Amino acid sequence: MRVEIRPAARLRGTNAVDLLPALGPALDAVIADPEVDLTRLRVTADWVQYRRSFRPPVMLVPSTGGDALELAVDLRRAHDAETTANAVAAAFHAHRNGSGAGAHRTLEEWTPTSRSLIWRFNALYWQHLRAWEEATGHGYESALPGGRSGAREDEPVRAMIKALFAVWDSLARRRALPEELYVVELGVGNGSQARTWLDAFRELDAEHGHRYYRRLHYLMGDYSPHVLELARAAVAEHAQHVSSLVLDAQRPMTALGFLRFKVFLVYISNVYDNLPTDEIATIGQREHLVQTRAYLDEADAVAIAAGVAATPDALGGLVDKLLQLGPTLLAEAAPGHIPDPAAGVAFWRACWSALRLQERYVPLHGLDTYEIAPGISGELLRPMTATGGDLRLHAANGAAASFADTLPLLHPFGRLQCHDIFITATDQYRTGFRGPGKYDGSVVNWVNGPLLAHIGARMGFDVAFAPFTPSGSNIVTLTADVRD
Amino acid sequence: MPIPPRPPRPLTTTVIGSWSVPDWLERAKTAAYHGGVSRTQLSDMHDMAIKAVLKDQEVVGIDVVTDGELRRDNDIDHILARVPGVVAREPVKAFYFDYLDLELQSPIPAVGPGPLGLVSDLAFTRTYTDRPVRFSMTGPFSLSRRLRTSEGAGYGDSADRADLVRDLARVLNAEATALAAAGAQLLQLDEPFLAGHPEHVKLAVEAVNIVVADVPVTWALHVCYGNRYARPLWEGHYDFLFPAVLDAAVDQLLLEFARKGDDDLALIEKHGWDRVLGVGVLDVKTAEVESAPLVERRIERALAYVPPERLLVTPDCGLRHLPATAARAKLRAMTSAAAAVRARLA
Repeated sequence: MRVEIRPAARLRGTNAVDLLPALGPALDAVIADPEVDLTRLRVTADWVQYRRSFRPPVMLVPSTGGDALELAVDLRRAHDAETTANAVAAAFHAHRNGSGAGAHRTLEEWTPTSRSLIWRFNALYWQHLRAWEEATGHGYESALPGGRSGAREDEPVRAMIKALFAVWDSLARRRALPEELYVVELGVGNGSQARTWLDAFRELDAEHGHRYYRRLHYLMGDYSPHVLELARAAVAEHAQHVSSLVLDAQRPMTALGFLRFKVFLVYISNVYDNLPTDEIATIGQREHLVQTRAYLDEADAVAIAAGVAATPDALGGLVDKLLQLGPTLLAEAAPGHIPDPAAGVAFWRACWSALRLQERYVPLHGLDTYEIAPGISGELLRPMTATGGDLRLHAANGAAASFADTLPLLHPFGRLQCHDIFITATDQYRTGFRGPGKYDGSVVNWVNGPLLAHIGARMGFDVAFAPFTPSGSNIVTLTADVRD
Repeated sequence: MPIPPRPPRPLTTTVIGSWSVPDWLERAKTAAYHGGVSRTQLSDMHDMAIKAVLKDQEVVGIDVVTDGELRRDNDIDHILARVPGVVAREPVKAFYFDYLDLELQSPIPAVGPGPLGLVSDLAFTRTYTDRPVRFSMTGPFSLSRRLRTSEGAGYGDSADRADLVRDLARVLNAEATALAAAGAQLLQLDEPFLAGHPEHVKLAVEAVNIVVADVPVTWALHVCYGNRYARPLWEGHYDFLFPAVLDAAVDQLLLEFARKGDDDLALIEKHGWDRVLGVGVLDVKTAEVESAPLVERRIERALAYVPPERLLVTPDCGLRHLPATAARAKLRAMTSAAAAVRARLA
């Protein structure tokens, strides 16, 4: 039996995690079960930082490639000895009986996490954000790390604009500055970043005296029409220079292909952490894909079903309708269960809150058989998996697709700047839980920075990471500049 | 006997140089820097891949073929690292396609024939095809942009480092002399960095003329807007190239038009370029395959400025960054289109 304790940094200091109350009962329960093959068992201990996550405090993760098992323990929540021991025993019992996580209602078949229905919930959140905000009474930005979108600090914005002016001045001297100067922002939030940026641009341009503002085209792209509407209102003063469009952040070229090699700055904030991702695990020198299956605990399912005058068996159908129609139309489609849109939102929130993911490891026959995104082979993960030992990391499929599809927009002297919660070194996956978690009604994962750096390098960009300043949050600034 | 400067038939088709690099070869090339693949094994892989590339070109109907530059990590290292006196500050790369950090610590010495050892590359290619072979070398100006020079090299720190460019040209001339003696008929100089430094075009042309001096082959010059990582390094127009390029003692000028559009074709007429023009009709920066009718239109637009016997039909640049399936499909569209236009002209 191997025991892997990941949150090493939390084992010391004033708020140190006390290992024994969590791990002791779990290990005792395992050892006490004579049917458990201890030689094939891995025990992994994480400290799941999300207040709301898809993980129960104790979870058994099987492998389809043999009889190896992983017992995953959340040190933050598994602190009651009796509860933990019972949960371990129940997990093994359920595994032997072929029912996975125990008494529960599964909502989908096994699938790579990037295709799980949690992403349909995520899409629902952005499409019906206004309804969610009205029900919760707070704006989505309050759910972001640090409480708001990370890039409305004035000084970094001014520095960014001055760097842009320097490039444009240089091109102008060589008679190579295009007439139209394009800047793109993906994931515009409520428009405050755009407003700050445009205000600063206009002011600095007036000081500078080159009249770049007159030639500026600022394109705002976002998946959420509601968010875009807010953003448009925020930048109304600059309306002549701003266009907005609904787009899929994973395929920006679909909407912005006409700007290929023409954009001088692409700005992205808090988008990548909200895009679908798989996880790849190297266990015993073999790579596995993590597959998941969404479910509700039986007790939660019974309570939610009772709240909408339905049987637990009918929940799956209602959830599917919710995800297809949204909370408002659900009230029209199922008035016997959902009398009005407010009840639709309440049902949505209850399901989301209770939603969990089962996990299993499925062996991969080589990283090159796994595609991270169109045209991006899983081989690009090899520099990380080859660092030795067991490792579980994000494939960052959505972020990789978005990043790779955004770089071609950049002018030969263009730059991409992105603020997000990035992993910047492989070892960070060995020392902490990096998602998925829940932020308000959306899914959040840390973003695999080294992978994006590899993708950037293959596409001719140097990718650098720096702490976001002024900070205090986990936000990191990624900058991609043309290399060579 | 050198082939005549004019192409073997109207609307002759050719490629610029590089070919799609298979993923397995990329892995092997990178592994060779880290001990995972031996240099002998890698050389065998290159041989096999080049044979396949020659066959691919023959199958899609390319008239004048190349070795796909598959032995080369990129457009610089294979040539520049072999220049006498040049040393790599760090000889191990993280990824094979990265540029070596190359430095010259003393002046480039006078050299005899074949200082770069490219003759064996050419000989191998000619062994495995009966078609005319285009063999390319990166031009002296572009080579100079990737070379550090220490104080001991004595090339100064002026923006153009003109003497360095001329000395590199002399090395390339010695290499070209050896290639010609080994049977080369068509040699090409590529200047991928020139478009980013339009102010140095006269120096670049002067250096081209040093390279080609007294080398009895058909000479081609390819100038594009850069294709490293399938990205342009400069956005502009070919007006910087004229009239200086008229002084280049080359027989063929190969330019990109597919991605940029054909506005610059007018420059050919305006400045009276009276030699062969290679017109880029395939955008190599996108895997999207052009239809044959679109390529036909591009060829016909070029025919408004250049007669068919002086027109080469080519991709915009090398095919290195395209998936092999896309490269083959694009070339098939190109050869089909050339055949269709040729038939209409007959």
